[in-house]
Amino acid sequence: VRRLQRTLEGRIRVAGRLIAAGLVVQLGTLFWNHALSFILFTSVGALLTSAGVLLYLHTLATRPPSELGGEVP
Amino acid sequence: MALTLALLILLDLTLIAFILARPAHLATAAGRVLAFVALFLLPGVAVSRGLSLHLHESKTTSFCLSCHVMAPYGRSLRVDNADSLPASHFQNRRIHRDEACYTCHTSYAMFGDLRAKLGGLRHLYVNYLGTIPDEIELYRPYNNRECLHCHAGARSFEESELHLDEREALASNETSCLECHDVAHDLAAAQRTDTLWKEPGS
Repeated sequence: VRRLQRTLEGRIRVAGRLIAAGLVVQLGTLFWNHALSFILFTSVGALLTSAGVLLYLHTLATRPPSELGGEVP
Repeated sequence: MALTLALLILLDLTLIAFILARPAHLATAAGRVLAFVALFLLPGVAVSRGLSLHLHESKTTSFCLSCHVMAPYGRSLRVDNADSLPASHFQNRRIHRDEACYTCHTSYAMFGDLRAKLGGLRHLYVNYLGTIPDEIELYRPYNNRECLHCHAGARSFEESELHLDEREALASNETSCLECHDVAHDLAAAQRTDTLWKEPGS
């Protein structure tokens, strides 16, 4: 169970890092009124954020029932 | 709106940093709720609002003129020539100055917005990865519908005898508005940058 929990934590860490990277890119494009900012926003910022969110949701959806309570015996 | 979104992103980044620094909190109910907010709700809001903001920004004149190749067309909005359609519309506030290009170069038919966005992506591709043509032309002849979207029903248009005579032909595109109003972008005058009109107070 501990190993499983470490795996879940690891995935959530990766998801968090992906989302954070995507959000930083999005933040950078917000105040840059240039045609390239739209491309950067969609192809890098939104893509990284969406990948992180999907990984997080996948982690939630595939965790075993024993993990629902979050207790480690 | 950009500032609000920036603050929301900063808040989310703080929450994510907390989760990454203290992963043990994920074992608690509060930690799981926090993770759901930081890793699902707030990023979802950030992406959807960000996309909406960028789509809005893509309608602005400064966005279109951010590509170097469009600079002469931007200057042509300010030429001192009353016969130039873009200049007279821009300078006399017949269109929103912030959305000058988009107002006239978007189809007012169904999916016109979508078509304009796809066209914009194509322009970006050509500008950065393709070959920019020596002479920039419209994809298809300018449709009178875009002019009539505003001018149909306007007194100056309706009471003009010339327009009355050509009413049917104009509506059906048999006669183009540009046959008489034939100075679209006055690029020659736009080269003389010292004579360009400036907004009062600018």
